[in-house]
Amino acid sequence: MRASMREGRSLARNLARFRDVGIGGIVVAVAIAFGAVNPLFFRPENLFAILLAVGIIVVLAVGQMLVIISRQIDLSIGSTLGVAAMVTAMVGRDFPDVPTIVLVAVAVGVGALLGAFNGFLVVGAKIPAIIATLGTLAIYRGLVFIVSNNIQVNPSEVPSGVTALARVSSVGIPPIVLIGVGVVLAGWYFTRKTMTGLRLYAVGSNPEAATARGLSPLKFQFWVFVVMGALAGLGGLLYIARYSTVNPADVGSGFELQVISAVVIGGTNIFGGSGSVVGVLMGVFLVGILANGLTVIGVSGFWQSAAYGAIIIIAVVVDTLVRRQMSSGGRKEKGELDG
Amino acid sequence: MDNPKASTLASAGKFLGPFLPAVVVFLVAMVWGTLASPFFLDIPVLLLHSGRYMEIGLLALAMTLVIIHGDIDLSVASNLAFSAAMLGLVYESGASIAVASVAAIAVGTTLGLFNGFLVTVVGLPSLVVTLGTLALYRGMAQIALGDQAVTGYPDGFVGADQNLVFELIPLPLTVFIVMAVLIGFLAHRTTFGFVSLMLGKNQVATMFSGLQPKMNRLIAFALSGAMAGFAAVLITARLGSTRSNLALGFELLVVTIVVLGGTDIFGGKGTIGGTVLALFAVIAVREALAIQNVNGQIQDAVIGLILVLTIAVPVAVSRLFGRVKVSRRKALLGLEKGTTQ
Repeated sequence: MRASMREGRSLARNLARFRDVGIGGIVVAVAIAFGAVNPLFFRPENLFAILLAVGIIVVLAVGQMLVIISRQIDLSIGSTLGVAAMVTAMVGRDFPDVPTIVLVAVAVGVGALLGAFNGFLVVGAKIPAIIATLGTLAIYRGLVFIVSNNIQVNPSEVPSGVTALARVSSVGIPPIVLIGVGVVLAGWYFTRKTMTGLRLYAVGSNPEAATARGLSPLKFQFWVFVVMGALAGLGGLLYIARYSTVNPADVGSGFELQVISAVVIGGTNIFGGSGSVVGVLMGVFLVGILANGLTVIGVSGFWQSAAYGAIIIIAVVVDTLVRRQMSSGGRKEKGELDG
Repeated sequence: MDNPKASTLASAGKFLGPFLPAVVVFLVAMVWGTLASPFFLDIPVLLLHSGRYMEIGLLALAMTLVIIHGDIDLSVASNLAFSAAMLGLVYESGASIAVASVAAIAVGTTLGLFNGFLVTVVGLPSLVVTLGTLALYRGMAQIALGDQAVTGYPDGFVGADQNLVFELIPLPLTVFIVMAVLIGFLAHRTTFGFVSLMLGKNQVATMFSGLQPKMNRLIAFALSGAMAGFAAVLITARLGSTRSNLALGFELLVVTIVVLGGTDIFGGKGTIGGTVLALFAVIAVREALAIQNVNGQIQDAVIGLILVLTIAVPVAVSRLFGRVKVSRRKALLGLEKGTTQ
């Protein structure tokens, strides 16, 4: 029985890995298809543009994955990014001599603070995450308006140290991409190689059992929101770097859907307890390549949203069917043993 | 304990409990608006203004049913946009406005059924499905209309929302009231509604009860789509033009209203009456802010704050008063015994 369990587990692990490889395959296939229609897709300038877009989304997506693994969700990330970007851009505008590293700290700090407030609402005030963050989605957006007094920060006012993050550096790669890679590596290390990461999965897949083992799900739930906030803040900084303009009306709005879509396409279970950084990275790439590729091959931008929605649905349908196959296989095995 | 007065009080409290936040918010907003401006408390004007919230109201009615089931439909606003696009294109192709309106409602219902199909037959989580169709349906509206707007609707249709029933109640509000009564009846006076509540409380047990829970959930999604179709007709009559960005972001406001009305976001508990009260509470807040020239973004933030407080305050109060806490804990323990064992 032990052996069959171990077998079952390795089967599940293989399937999960197979899934990551599967999405990776789809990403490559989609990229090749775009390239075949229009070779310009593979021009360095274009790949560069894709990387810049992916760099920002992936930072948020890794955070959201951690939140979803712990059975929570954060709908407020677009607004959190907005507040962090606005505050940071204003500090940069009003104190042009401040070193870039201070601006990074401001962005991450503001984000972490807002994330902590989300965590407090969920853990302290016992509000379901989906409602708490639906509320703060609107509250933080209002905060952007109040903080900025509805005045936008213009490209000329953004310190050059920040905009340099989106330009090719001496290494040949824009720092945004390096930051994205750093977050992905950190996320991968945390979820795969640390005890705390393993415990996060335990808390997400079965909070009662985790409590019985002496873990505190509430603590994990609080801290995933803080980490998510900090990453959204970092995303805010990258947003300034990439777009230069910070407009209080729309900074970061709609990011929550893009990010949650990428996380779901990446195979993260929306009910918590499972998800992989590699899968999420693939999900982010698929979303990023699709958005860029459709434009490059001359499909009207109006098709983008529909393609996006279709892919989410297809990904989830395929996922569910595979998962069902997996669990029914397991059940059969157990039935044989019992018989 | 045997004191009949106390028990009637308790039962009144139990009955009013879920409605209390919405009622308090409504009253506070009305008083505040009246104090802020002498022009605020003008009932006919307020009623007329309320007309433009009725599209959201219709969506919230069906959303209440969907959420009671333990599901959610995030695609309602996108569904509305695509249904409105179809209304516009059918009308442009030469059909009468009545035919176009029926077409919009049919399209909305079909899209709702598609959501329901994926959730009940394929067995996917509704949050993910409708997140997908939120993008898909909006995208379909964009493909259908591009950056063009459909205009040139007939005169009697455009501005129909200004018509008054009994010389007081605007037409959209009348439509909303009729729908609220119908859906309220469905939710609270029929087997369908009973099964909905059971499903939301305990899906597994309901599956074994010999009822047809799948059909129930499917109908709720179809109804949600149908309301999006109705709302598409209303919004077209009100605005007189159709663009693909119609009702952008409405889904969040709709969910907010439903939750404010005392419906449990995890299902199994909720009333149409609560949603109706919450809608009027939100209208009162927005009108009270609008008359003081408060920016729309801040209006949204205030609604968000109210949403959070609605849930946080009862929890805080029950913590402060130990007696409530004990009885609550007892209730929770009893509940846990029932479900986890």
